[in-house]
Amino acid sequence: MDMNEIKEIFFQECEEQLAELESGLLKLNDGDRDPETVNAVFRAVHSIKGGAGAFGLDDLVSFAHVFETTLDCVRSNRLEPNQDVLKVMLKSADVLADLTNAARDGGSVDEARSRQLIKELEALANGELPQAAAAEPVAKPAPVAAPAPAPAPAPVVNEEGFQPVAFSFDEFEANEPPAVEPSTFEILFRPKSELYAKGNDATLLLRDLSRLGEMSILCDMDELPALGSMNPEAAYFAWKISLKTDKGEDAIRSVFEFAEWDCELEVTLAGDPANAGEELPMQPVPFDLSLLDEEAPATAGASEDEEQAVAQREARDEALSAAATASKVLQMAQTARASAESAKSATPVSAAQAAAQQAASAATPTIRVDLDRVDRLINLVGELVINQAMLSQSVIENDTNGTSSINMGLEELQQLTREIQDSVMAIRAQPVKPVFQRMSRIVREIADMTGKSVRLVTEGENTEVDKTVIDKLAEPLTHMIRNAVDHGLETPEKRVAAGKNPEGTVRLTAKHRSGRIVIELADDGAGINREKVRQKAIDNDLIAADANLSDEEIDNLIFHAGFSTADKISDISGRGVGMDVVKRSIQALGGRINISSKPGQGSVFTMSLPLTLAVLDGMVVTVANQTLVVPLTAIVETLQPEASAIHSFGASQRLISIRNSFCPLVDVGRILNFRAIQANPVEGVALLVESEGGGQRALMVDAIQGQRQVVIKSLEANYTHVPGIAAATILGDGRVALILDVDAIVAASRGHSLKPEMSLAAAG
Amino acid sequence: MASKNTAKKSLKLAPVLDLNEATALHERLLSLKGAPVVIDASAVERIGTLCAQVLMAGARSWEEDRMSFTFAKVSDAFVKTTQLIGVDIAPLMAKEI
Repeated sequence: MDMNEIKEIFFQECEEQLAELESGLLKLNDGDRDPETVNAVFRAVHSIKGGAGAFGLDDLVSFAHVFETTLDCVRSNRLEPNQDVLKVMLKSADVLADLTNAARDGGSVDEARSRQLIKELEALANGELPQAAAAEPVAKPAPVAAPAPAPAPAPVVNEEGFQPVAFSFDEFEANEPPAVEPSTFEILFRPKSELYAKGNDATLLLRDLSRLGEMSILCDMDELPALGSMNPEAAYFAWKISLKTDKGEDAIRSVFEFAEWDCELEVTLAGDPANAGEELPMQPVPFDLSLLDEEAPATAGASEDEEQAVAQREARDEALSAAATASKVLQMAQTARASAESAKSATPVSAAQAAAQQAASAATPTIRVDLDRVDRLINLVGELVINQAMLSQSVIENDTNGTSSINMGLEELQQLTREIQDSVMAIRAQPVKPVFQRMSRIVREIADMTGKSVRLVTEGENTEVDKTVIDKLAEPLTHMIRNAVDHGLETPEKRVAAGKNPEGTVRLTAKHRSGRIVIELADDGAGINREKVRQKAIDNDLIAADANLSDEEIDNLIFHAGFSTADKISDISGRGVGMDVVKRSIQALGGRINISSKPGQGSVFTMSLPLTLAVLDGMVVTVANQTLVVPLTAIVETLQPEASAIHSFGASQRLISIRNSFCPLVDVGRILNFRAIQANPVEGVALLVESEGGGQRALMVDAIQGQRQVVIKSLEANYTHVPGIAAATILGDGRVALILDVDAIVAASRGHSLKPEMSLAAAG
Repeated sequence: MASKNTAKKSLKLAPVLDLNEATALHERLLSLKGAPVVIDASAVERIGTLCAQVLMAGARSWEEDRMSFTFAKVSDAFVKTTQLIGVDIAPLMAKEI
């Protein structure tokens, strides 16, 4: 594995850590005070920092370090994670994500923002209030992670007194702490077996420790069992160490940085430096440990050019530690799980939560697979399905008698293909969680820009959907969230005036509904100002001034191209991306979007998307000698209309009465311009469909050919978008059939707005 | 005297005794049980904590069996590592007779 691959893995790990970080912070924001949540957050930042250090990503390391220091204050209960504190931390998590992305793709980072946040974080760590922190720059180094040793004498800058020194973070990170009087530390180091299991060796840690100063050591072998009963890979040795060093406690702890979850470590300042180490029969450790360096060449000691040897050694050490850190990064997740379990026993109060975490962490092992490989497999399986259908067809055509063994074999083949296909699809299914998590950042940013107070509530994050759908969901969702906060929610003052909570709520929900995923975005804002929308539509010649539109139709006007109700183009929503683009991208996914709005109570956007973009269960029908496929999920029932059930309504509308209720009859052939005159319903078949906007329609087709699974071939990718048609497929006989977009057909049968588009498409 | 010498078994340690070697070393040492053992650590370039644990557990077991467990030859790296981790091997060093 070369360095780039390791780096790539690091970045993948980073993504997971960042997600963990954000969800942890959000939990804290919701009042969760479980120490394990704080720990999880801390660990996420810590492991990003560790990995970044290994790859020399200095910006990332320095930011993560300050962040970590502040988080440590929370962890050690020196800082109360209130809303203000968490606001800073959430922003910091965003910057950390930016820095990670920048390190990965070479993008740019808002440096002023990260500098400001570093200041705010440091201020928090110093016990200052967030507001005060934002106002003035701080000139103090961040406090150390644990109670500091004897206060170090501040270096005198000049003889007149102390001068305020501008705090440079680089110096703090790059250099060792200012030289102080050497002090003696008592260190208790008891590794756990996990330490060795993860490829760490106490010997190497002790070696690094011995480099900090004069060290005496006592190995505690009390735990060591007899040879026959020992586990050679378990930890038995523990150490008491006395170390005289001028580097401070931080330096000591940093030696154990990557082992701290896998060992018991106590670092205390010895009471009397003079006597320390004398009470116990400690073995002094020789200062020259060069021979102990890994892969030390036999000549290392004999080398005349000491400096060069040292330099080489350091370079090698760095390389080794980089590689080691990379592998440690990989182990972090395990570490997190291990400590989740250990925390469980420590906090019986949150036993239930911990149990839940444990359950979550007991996830089955996973592997990372290149998406391209999965795509290739899916494509092949798609071809297999088509091929199998073709084979079935030709067997039926050539062997009318139907040899039973061939038919049985074919049936089995069909079942197997189906199973393979389902399994392959399951590989691509992913929870929508990552996209939802990304949204919380968007909400924070917009809330900040608009000065609104917003709370994002997400539900059903674990709803699974095809990876391609997830990837394409982020953009429209981002835009809709922006819109919801910018246009939907009122300012806190207006909300208070309207008797609402000054904090607005945006609710993002995902759920499965009849073979599709439905994503709902609801805000509790003012709702759509229909008067304004209507006026704007009239001004833009979208509708006639005297058009009689239902509320729903007015609401849907916002999906028209170039429609924006914002009085002035704001920085947030007025990016030239209107709701029409959102609608188009949802449609491109084979999805539908709907809006319902209640004045004063808010709006709900409902998106319904297919679970996968690869296959579809469809009913193959004939309309005007064309073969079409109707998605099975849309069909409620099929029926053969009788003449007595058909009723005329208005000039050209017809209704069909089904079990004492009337349902509009939609002639698919007519809508798609396949024929000029209406077909006789009695000669065809009616497919009762449920449309997204609610209500049922009866789609008129000429005949039903059968029901089968079809492989979706995108029309957009291979041709162009055709209104009323969702996609195409290749049938068993090699012919291309179009897959019907049922909602578009229903909408076209109802309104006039899609007509021009429809005829255009038909003409094209 | 001669018979005692022939009964003595010797074990030459590998140059690298890292974490992966601990189990192998453990097995080899177990197979030598019941007889005095002389360990040759002259080739050791690196020894990790796990292998040190195995060796020390061996020393104890041999001591319980009242058998001798000695280090005949040791490399500089071996000595320094044991010093570093606070394991005193001086009592186990073979005495020149």
